[in-house]
Amino acid sequence: MLAILQRELVAILRTRKAFVLQFGLALCLLGLIALRWPTDNRVELSGARSGQLFRLFSYGMLAAVAMLAPIFPATSIVMERRKGTLALLLNTPLRPYRIYAGKLFAVLGFIALLLLITLPAAAACYAMGGISLTKQLLVVYGLLGVVAWQYSSLGLLVSSIARTADGAVRVTYGCVLMLAVITLVPYFFMQDWGGNTSVTTSWVRCLSPIPAMMELVGHGAIGSTTAWTGVSATTRFLLSAILMSTVFSGITILRLQHHLLDQARSQGIITDDSGLAVRTARRAFFIIDPRRRSGNIGNWTNPVMAKEFRSRRFGRSHWMLRLVGGCAVLSLFLAFTVTTGTVQWDLETVGGPLVLLQVALMVIFMPSLAAGLISSEQENGAWPLLRTTPLSGGRIVRGKLISVGWTMLLMLAATLPGYAVMVYIQPTLWLQVVNALVCLLLTGLAAMMLSGAVGCWFSRTAAATTAAYVAVVGLFGGTLMIWLARDAPFGFQTVETALKLNPMAAALAVFNVPGFQTYNLIPASWWIAGIIIIFCFGVMRMRVQSLMRSL
Amino acid sequence: MSSEDPSSDIPVIELKNLSKQYGEFVALDSLSLSVYRGQILGFIGPNGAGKTTTIKIMVGLAKPTSGTARIAGADCARDSARIKRLVGYMPDGFGSYDNMRVREYLDFFGAAFGIPRRDRIRRIAEVLEITNSTYMQDRYVESLSHGMQQRVGIARTLLHDPEVLIFDEPANGLDPQARIEMRELLLRLASTGKTLIVTSHILPELSRICDQVAIITQGRLRASGSLDEIMKNIRQRRTIEVQLPAGEDVSAAEQKLREHLQATEAVVVSSAEAVLRFDTTRTDKQLRQLLATLITSGVPVSQFRELQTDLEDAFMSILQQQDVATTATETSV
Repeated sequence: MLAILQRELVAILRTRKAFVLQFGLALCLLGLIALRWPTDNRVELSGARSGQLFRLFSYGMLAAVAMLAPIFPATSIVMERRKGTLALLLNTPLRPYRIYAGKLFAVLGFIALLLLITLPAAAACYAMGGISLTKQLLVVYGLLGVVAWQYSSLGLLVSSIARTADGAVRVTYGCVLMLAVITLVPYFFMQDWGGNTSVTTSWVRCLSPIPAMMELVGHGAIGSTTAWTGVSATTRFLLSAILMSTVFSGITILRLQHHLLDQARSQGIITDDSGLAVRTARRAFFIIDPRRRSGNIGNWTNPVMAKEFRSRRFGRSHWMLRLVGGCAVLSLFLAFTVTTGTVQWDLETVGGPLVLLQVALMVIFMPSLAAGLISSEQENGAWPLLRTTPLSGGRIVRGKLISVGWTMLLMLAATLPGYAVMVYIQPTLWLQVVNALVCLLLTGLAAMMLSGAVGCWFSRTAAATTAAYVAVVGLFGGTLMIWLARDAPFGFQTVETALKLNPMAAALAVFNVPGFQTYNLIPASWWIAGIIIIFCFGVMRMRVQSLMRSL
Repeated sequence: MSSEDPSSDIPVIELKNLSKQYGEFVALDSLSLSVYRGQILGFIGPNGAGKTTTIKIMVGLAKPTSGTARIAGADCARDSARIKRLVGYMPDGFGSYDNMRVREYLDFFGAAFGIPRRDRIRRIAEVLEITNSTYMQDRYVESLSHGMQQRVGIARTLLHDPEVLIFDEPANGLDPQARIEMRELLLRLASTGKTLIVTSHILPELSRICDQVAIITQGRLRASGSLDEIMKNIRQRRTIEVQLPAGEDVSAAEQKLREHLQATEAVVVSSAEAVLRFDTTRTDKQLRQLLATLITSGVPVSQFRELQTDLEDAFMSILQQQDVATTATETSV
């Protein structure tokens, strides 16, 4: 196990990515402390200033751990399998649990190093006074350690299942986003419903580390400790995280066997070549048969766009049809929620969950689709082949972006019936709905273009996807973090300026979602989103042009 | 083997003083080369010799620092649009896409080359037929064996019916059966009038199909011409093998042999095989005299014969000459 631990940890620390992460984190914390360090000679006995700083520091650390912990484990096993080194490892006398432990502890060792880097900043917070060492500071670090364990074990599990490194990254980040953010949404909107709904949503909420962290830094909403159980959010989170991590680890260890490598190659069976009975049966049961022979690319179709759909695992017609089906079900659910929700809330408030749902979908899907558009070509060696065709750089970029754009539009369309119900019930809302839809369209485009622009600088898809997730979550989540600290240390003006960068916040403001009502974000937010989109397109176009050029 | 087209004296591929530098590193140094229609050129060199750089310049993926590369009159650096139509290139790596079937893969590249849909359908069927790949048209590209992928790669290069085909290590990693099929396929392509450039490390494979050979080391062309011409030059130096009855005789025999050889006639000893080999320019008469001298001086010679030279030997001989030249330069410095 020590051999694997050593190899993995050294391999991680040797990467440029690890250096950038450590250096970046140290720089951010330095900036944060420098920004809030007392400049006058007065001693503040209340500890309010250090409390503000500690909150910001803790949330920042939580975001950093949640974003960084899955990076290495998500690609760890799948990369070993693709390179063939997993077969070599499984042929050694090492037992699967020792291989697993080596990989896990290597990642945790790296996270521990990152946490060590933050110690001077934590010490500075503590030195400012007003913070308990045992009840706050150490517990926060303990919580971060558990979060790192949970997300690392999740990353390793996904890595043992995924077929490609970038696929593993996107699924892992999707799961992290689901666990950390989406779990908060039901409670946010249903906490007053009472009965089992409130209890369930309060437990679901505690799957996320955010309520636990809020509680620890003294930011917790009243009622975060439910009266009927008396169990705090922190305890609930710790229980669920330890349970999940154990289950994830157990499944991954069970998967680390030879059968992971013992998979048959596809024989490429096609319905068109089957017998009459099979053909008839499949035509009866499938609207679009996954085994049908696809048609040739049309003369006026952008071939790159067609290729992107075909080479994407879920880009095929039958998968798109399933996506449409899923979206239709989602639409119906949302329409139902809107209709029944009007009994509990204002009709306007119903727009909040719709917006959050769409943005969550886009934040999960856009980086995974757009980040690897260029890097995947480089990674699989197809870029030189594309360069030897008469396709221009512009046509390649357009084809690739259109393929992602169509998927995004499909996801956006999923919630249209929900909005339609809102307008049907209260026609005066139509302007707000239109504004929100424009915001969402811009959100999707911004997420797509930012992911594409960030991802095109990498030659490995997994790295591109990770960087794109960091950028997109940084844009949408980072601005919300500033919003979280809206009372202190950030003032109204700062928060409003930050939220203008985030079209999602503009959409929430349109529907007067609590906490966003006071901000006037439109049309500034639209302009800024437009500038981000055009800038990112320019960056991507420039990068592709430079890659097309002969050196 | 295809023969040179007598109707055309103009080379299809013409490289003139081609040089390429990456900073201080000289990847190509005044390379000049001509290939005529219907010929197969074997492009040989050790790793890092500059083969791939030359090929990249020819297909428009890299620009030369100086010199010119022309294919069918089109300048590879300036007329990239025409070059793309004229050249079919198969790199060392396959360049596959996940989740795509062979037919779809070819369809994409056909569409990328702007072949109209109806023509494309016909052309895909043709190239699959030429490469004996029709049976795998519905298989997923990533699930194909290496040999199958190579054939699909060749089918892809043929889609737009290019005049010149450039294959980088097409036989790399193939089993003997697949190599034979690859060889037949390349010969078939040359017989249709295509001009081929093939790089390979498997030199016996090249010697069976190539009309022309170019040997490149450290970015410089060391030898070029037909295989016969190169062999003729190499044969000026002959390798003689002296077989002894037992391994223990080797060191004494080596000592005696060296007494009668000149310093330029390098001796290689294999105790395990009980063999001495030396390179020489001596005539048959001089060799007869040497053999007589060895026997008279008590060397127990059981066989004394000349080794046949093939492309591999030619290549090794040129590498050795280069090593000698390098050592001489270093010594003089």
